[in-house]
Amino acid sequence: MNPTIELNELEVQLGNRTILHGLTGVLKSRAIGLLGPNGAGKSTLINTLLGFHSPSKGSARVLGIDSHANGRALRSLVGYMPENDAFISKMSGVRFVRYMAEISGLPADQAMERAHEAFVYVGLGEARYRPVGTYSLGMKQLAKFAQAIAHGPKVLILDEPTNGMDPPARKRLIELIREIREASDICLLLSSHLLRDVEETCDEVLILRNGQIASICNLVEERRANRKFLELETIGAEATFRSTLEGLGCECAVFSNGRIKVVMPENIEIREVFKVAADKGVQIRRMNHRRDSLEDIFLSAMEQTGAPDGRL
Amino acid sequence: MAVYKRRYNPYAGSLTPEWSRFFVLTRYAFADLFKARFFIVLLVFSLVPILFFAGYIFIANNKTVQLLMQVRSADLFSVEAQYFVIIMTVQTQAAFLLNCWVGPVLIAGDLTNGALPLFLSRPFSRADYVLGKFTVLGLLLSGVTWVPGLLLFSLQAGLARNGWIWSHLWMVVPIVLCSAIWILMLSLLSLAVSAWVKLRIVATGVIFITFFVPAGLGEMFNAIMGTIWGRLLNFSYLFNIILARGFREQSKVLGSMGWNEIPVAAAWGSLICVCMLALVILNARLRAREVVRG
Repeated sequence: MNPTIELNELEVQLGNRTILHGLTGVLKSRAIGLLGPNGAGKSTLINTLLGFHSPSKGSARVLGIDSHANGRALRSLVGYMPENDAFISKMSGVRFVRYMAEISGLPADQAMERAHEAFVYVGLGEARYRPVGTYSLGMKQLAKFAQAIAHGPKVLILDEPTNGMDPPARKRLIELIREIREASDICLLLSSHLLRDVEETCDEVLILRNGQIASICNLVEERRANRKFLELETIGAEATFRSTLEGLGCECAVFSNGRIKVVMPENIEIREVFKVAADKGVQIRRMNHRRDSLEDIFLSAMEQTGAPDGRL
Repeated sequence: MAVYKRRYNPYAGSLTPEWSRFFVLTRYAFADLFKARFFIVLLVFSLVPILFFAGYIFIANNKTVQLLMQVRSADLFSVEAQYFVIIMTVQTQAAFLLNCWVGPVLIAGDLTNGALPLFLSRPFSRADYVLGKFTVLGLLLSGVTWVPGLLLFSLQAGLARNGWIWSHLWMVVPIVLCSAIWILMLSLLSLAVSAWVKLRIVATGVIFITFFVPAGLGEMFNAIMGTIWGRLLNFSYLFNIILARGFREQSKVLGSMGWNEIPVAAAWGSLICVCMLALVILNARLRAREVVRG
């Protein structure tokens, strides 16, 4: 089976600026999150996958289809929800979605039916006959989402889908995305600043920084690894406390002001940490017990420095 | 994804042929146009002269009516090339007005709120997009220029008999060809303006300016340099030359103004250059990619 996204030394230049620097990587999961700070190249990568930008070097493939050489074939599989405003303000919502579905190739009657269904599905059924220009920001996001799914794409590309949405609307959209992912064999590429959005919907993340790949992380495997963390704030003999914990098989990272991050192996219980602290005369002032989160992966990727192969 | 089930289902039905999808844009644009009463009034206004031209042809071929009207001169009602030059001149001006109303909104509406990436993220190219929008103007302006031109030609051929059609069949070519270059230039020009200017009133103004300001500048150039080549910027003049030459006529209006005519090939070349320029502008403006920050 073809990987969902395959990047091979992908370099994209806009004007004289190189935006993407020789990205190489294979993403096999059906739901891929695209993370990175502003200017990291997320939208440029999406635009390249859609064939809007031509690579200056290398190639990008989606489901085995080259985005540049076979752009039209690839776009026939795609449903795209752009980050910025994208609508025709004077058209009613349902007509707008029907229009887009017809351009995707649906016959007029099917497009009409699917447009109504998509509008009801995203929760805008009551507003479907209103001009899109009169919608609130959140409703416009949902209308964009409706046009992206109405023609039943095989690849759904969502660029910052929850921008401008209030928490209930965001939660609803994330549920819809998960539902679509589970109800069909659709592949998802979701770009977001919100780690939670990606964590809740994706199986694999591609983290970009300064146009380079900072990390490719399989969230499913990370979840399966189930690594436990303790974040401690201590007063007392840090060095001996740390070495004793390491002797038990823990991995420790010591930060300023007595803060210690401890990665616990499976066979060690928290009570043993307390026991060591008591033995060494270390006061534990605060303890936070949690699992490795996408935030840790993201922050760790952001802290790393670059390497010449396009990875940081 | 049935409404009552409220769940997502992939689409598994048939698809329309890719080559035909540009026509979706045309269909939707026409649906929007016919919602506006002013457009319908303008369209009817553009077609009214056809009735008068048809009436004239009817009278010219009906001796009884001429007798009733007490017309004695046989030359008063003559339907020859000169008459078709007049028909085409009037109808192309009507097409210009129609174009000024319809053209400016065709692309601007999609660009105002960034809808272009939605079109181009589908199996739909920029060429398809321009073709879809161009077809709106192409069909509309054809409907007031060469189509009625050919209908009037057929009417005259039917009423005149005596082999008139065979001796005048060559006129079909200038009717179609002159209309085609005018439609092509007007459509591409107004699409280019629509891609640059979002407000209808400003865009309409820009189209007028495109016709009148270069013409004025060209005349200034002529006056200063003592030449006639500045008229290459006067598009209406160029079209009149093409029209008159196409119908094997001297351009009497221009002649009466004391202007020397520039070669017809140069007129064609200039209008084709305008079309190319409009295409370059469209190519520059119709881009799917969004602004890249940082």
